[in-house]
Amino acid sequence: MSKAVLVDVTKCYGCGACTVACKLWNGKEYDDAKKPTVGEKAQLTDINWTVVSKHKVTDASGKTVWRFAKKQCLHCEEPACASSCLVGALRKTEEGPVVYYPDLCVGCRYCMIACPFGIPKYEWDKSFPEVSKCQMCSSRLAKNEAPACVSVCPNGVMKFGDSEQILKEARATIASDKRYIKHIYGEKEAGGTAWMYISDQPFEKLGFKTAVKNQSLPEYTWKIINKIPAALVVWGGILTGVYMITNRRNAVKSSKNNENKGGKS
Amino acid sequence: MEKSNGKTGAVSRRTFLKGVTGAGLTGAAAALTGCKSTGKPAGGTGWTPQQYNVPENWPVQVRGRVPIDPENPSIVRDDKKCILCGQCIEACNKVQSVQGYYELPIKDDITCVNCGQCSLWCPTAAISERDDVDKVITALKDKNLHVIVQTAPATRVAVGEEFGLPPGSIIEGKMVAALKKMGFHGVFDTNFTADLTIMEEGTELVTRVKNALAGGHGGGEGGHHAPMALPQFTSCSPGWVKFCEYFYPDLLEHMSTCKSPQQMLGALAKTYYAKKKGIDPAKIVSVSIMPCTAKKFEAARPEMNSAGIKNGNAKMIDVDYALTTRELAKMMKIFRIDLTTLKDQHYDNIMGEGTGAAVIFGTTGGVMEAAIRSGYFLLTGQNPPELLFNLEPVRGLQGVKKASLNVPGVGELRVAISHGLGNARVLLDQLREDKKNHREPRFHFIEFMSCPGGCIGGGGQPRTALPPSDAVRQARLDSLYTMDAKMYKKRLSHENKEVQQIYTEFLGKPNSELAHQLLHTKYTDRGSQLTAKKKA
Ligand code: SF4
Ligand code: SF4
Ligand code: SF4
Ligand code: SF4
Repeated sequence: MSKAVLVDVTKCYGCGACTVACKLWNGKEYDDAKKPTVGEKAQLTDINWTVVSKHKVTDASGKTVWRFAKKQCLHCEEPACASSCLVGALRKTEEGPVVYYPDLCVGCRYCMIACPFGIPKYEWDKSFPEVSKCQMCSSRLAKNEAPACVSVCPNGVMKFGDSEQILKEARATIASDKRYIKHIYGEKEAGGTAWMYISDQPFEKLGFKTAVKNQSLPEYTWKIINKIPAALVVWGGILTGVYMITNRRNAVKSSKNNENKGGKS
Repeated sequence: MEKSNGKTGAVSRRTFLKGVTGAGLTGAAAALTGCKSTGKPAGGTGWTPQQYNVPENWPVQVRGRVPIDPENPSIVRDDKKCILCGQCIEACNKVQSVQGYYELPIKDDITCVNCGQCSLWCPTAAISERDDVDKVITALKDKNLHVIVQTAPATRVAVGEEFGLPPGSIIEGKMVAALKKMGFHGVFDTNFTADLTIMEEGTELVTRVKNALAGGHGGGEGGHHAPMALPQFTSCSPGWVKFCEYFYPDLLEHMSTCKSPQQMLGALAKTYYAKKKGIDPAKIVSVSIMPCTAKKFEAARPEMNSAGIKNGNAKMIDVDYALTTRELAKMMKIFRIDLTTLKDQHYDNIMGEGTGAAVIFGTTGGVMEAAIRSGYFLLTGQNPPELLFNLEPVRGLQGVKKASLNVPGVGELRVAISHGLGNARVLLDQLREDKKNHREPRFHFIEFMSCPGGCIGGGGQPRTALPPSDAVRQARLDSLYTMDAKMYKKRLSHENKEVQQIYTEFLGKPNSELAHQLLHTKYTDRGSQLTAKKKA
């Protein structure tokens, strides 16, 4: 059964617990000075799989108010990133997450270009970089646990459940409460995503890409791949060679990384 | 739902190949994908606390954390140290009744009364005060500046804990010695302005009570210069004041117009003291050592520039830096001063005398007791009877305390005390209800302290066992009463010689025009910055 998350932007007070949960669970580094996870400057980066961006908007009475929007990979039903990946390093699972397998990745970064939301990031700072993005806590979902960020939220901003149920709830909420705008972001965007949002503010004011096409993108992506010149394929072959060497080193390095986890502060 | 890419490697490759046939890439693609297993997915190598690792969406005891605005003048949080234990929410919600007491969505403010209780509860010290130690050290190094410092009552029974002494160790003289050693040019006692507060606030209370006796109705209507509503609320705890501004702005007419002792001393340092010593007020840097993180917020309030206005420079603020007790200990350690080995020294003259009535400001019930002692004098012209020197009903750690006493010529004076903001709501909701039903006020005077135990349990005090325990609070509190009863020569604020002196030389009389300019303040209705939850 495919899972989904509904984010209610109106309930978030910007505590950032979700961003910390993500870092704790996924062993990501902290860099509050250069890569803040909460606030006006917060942006998804290689180490920030999720951020809470702050927006100054106007409420119904014309007063300036703050809204916080919890952002991460939207986990498309038909993900362009996965379709664009030549080696299947990005895969949509039946539970809902679009999962990245670093061992398969050749580092071509097509996914970054393909994603209509600009989600996948690249670990430019590392000598053996990987693509980096929210996994929707696939290993927790496998145990029927909610994603880490969802679990820790003190305000129940995020609801986790079966996608049909979640969509029903979203519809019911915006129908019954007139404060909400009549739009479920993620219901149709890019053909539908596993993470959906409801809000009392227009989504473009909260930093969401609203120009995204409503139909799914893979079809469109195939067209791009059809046009990939032969030279690129050769380049891909070379990358594979390079990859086989780096993969070894990565394996060594990642075991070292594991030893360090938790000790970083 | 149809997936363009299936779950397994085989399906994935097939769909992929389906997609690329016709472009002549089949061979290349096959080479690229190879026949590898997928390996492990990214992520999921870390941990989250146990309560979050259960299937589905079960309720849990503690979840998440308090929001902290990066601009918060009092507290900061280091995400690297946060373990999402939820203790800060416990403190903020259960003890202070702040988090969870406003509706979502929020407006244009992260609701916080700056009390710092979360910083005491946080087990990893992820939350701590905004550290101003470096700024003070820089000022001390600047030969052009005249840096003065004041220390709050509760600091002298707590800072020793940071040097291994048991809770409640009385360390006043050594603390003064340490401050002098660090190079402060004047070391003053907030007790001095605590006594002054009693004169100002007591006079204000007497005016309100007499107004009521004369048949004037509370509420401040009728063109009165000052609010006349009864009960009068104490105003020396800045966390409490902000709490009232947020959640009970309709009751602000009850708030004493007196500034807190910290702000009184700040305003006087750059006027009275500067004049007496012939120092340019612009060269004075005014530092305070407080048991409190909310004092940083209070010092930064835009209206806290009375000395500046008096001196013709509105940008000059009354208190430049408010440090917590913890920051003071840190500073001593930076200077390599072992507090325990120093010889006792005295506070400096002009603003250095304090009475026993002032030192008990640091505990819940203390302001009340001090006010009663001098209020009695102000109302009757006589010193209070012995009984009023040990007012048991207002002492101790019970959340809400009530007492009444007979004042000759006035009748029964009824008072109440609360500490910990959750407890304040009991008295405030009752008052609201009474006012709605046009009932006579139950009390004449109410002391509110933001923190459990009063300032001795303040958010800037040394961290203790978890959660902060009453045993430690009791030890600190007992010591303040010991100082009042046994160590200080005087126990009545109005007998403080330096207080008497400042009235003759500078202020005139309590609640004079000048006193109002420098020692009194006004409040901000913050009701529109949040949507307070209706009482359940
Ligand atoms: S679902 Fe998991 S990986 Fe994605 S943002 Fe939440 S905690 Fe991070
Ligand atoms: S944990 Fe919840 S309330 Fe806190 S920032 Fe994340 S979504 Fe918002
Ligand atoms: S300082 Fe006080 S009001 Fe602010 S978050 Fe901490 S406990 Fe809550
Ligand atoms: S108490 Fe400290 S460690 Fe625990 S959730 Fe709050 S900030 Fe994090």
